[in-house]
Amino acid sequence: MGNETADSTLLDNRPAVPPWMVGLTAAMMLVQLYLIFMWVSTEATMGIIQRIFYFHVPAAVASFVATFVGGIAAILYLVKRDSKWDDLSLAANETVVVFEIVNICMGSIWAKRVWGIWWTWDAKLTSAFLLLFIYAAYLVIRRAAPVEARATVCAVICILGMADVPLIYMSNRIFRTQHPSPVIGGGEGSGLAGDMATTLFFGMATMVMVWWCMVLVRRRVARLERAAEDLTRRAHELDDLRRD
Amino acid sequence: MENLNWLFYAFGLGWLVIFGYLFQISQKERKLRHRVAELQEMIEERWKKKA
Repeated sequence: MGNETADSTLLDNRPAVPPWMVGLTAAMMLVQLYLIFMWVSTEATMGIIQRIFYFHVPAAVASFVATFVGGIAAILYLVKRDSKWDDLSLAANETVVVFEIVNICMGSIWAKRVWGIWWTWDAKLTSAFLLLFIYAAYLVIRRAAPVEARATVCAVICILGMADVPLIYMSNRIFRTQHPSPVIGGGEGSGLAGDMATTLFFGMATMVMVWWCMVLVRRRVARLERAAEDLTRRAHELDDLRRD
Repeated sequence: MENLNWLFYAFGLGWLVIFGYLFQISQKERKLRHRVAELQEMIEERWKKKA
């Protein structure tokens, strides 16, 4: 599958995520918590439970970014057959599952308090669930698919995943949904107060930083997995040579 | 007050999923580094014996 063999740089002590990036992300997470719990004003109708919004929406944004990065990397791997794209694609696609779980679970907790139900099959929630389902299937199929077909199958699943993102975004703009109307880019009457918009956009930037740190670590793991497979094969080849 | 509890559960769950995943892949990286080092050593020894 890959064209990369084990190299000595895999075992050097450089961390997968540069320390400055870890520091910056940690600082942003602390500021995000301050903004959400201490700074932003409380929404008049829902009260403090609305603050879930500042984590729920950024988690969705991180999963959308991951979907496109993973999808484009899968297509690049299909074209160039360079294993660095396959590693990036796997890392990004796995994080779609993580952030969609966060997004759906937090939305569900909010729904229980505000709607009185955990879940409803409206267009927005269903299309978000579909995204989680597509990427959970990706992870299973990636393991099960024959090596020679894996790149093509994975790229097709990624294209399906990328196609679902505009559907999620547009669903509460096109259809009548139980999910609240869009507050950004939702036409007349939509919009957020200045402090709420600041908290939301800062939350999005923080979540994308957390996501990128995750991708860097997962990409390193993917390289190590490839190297371990390669070295195991070489060890077996040496055994066979010795026997001959 | 009850909403505060729910807010705590929601954020707790969100961070738990994120940090749980980060912890899991960090552990996996540590194990794989060890495994790759072992395999490299083993192959080197076999080459020496073969030579």
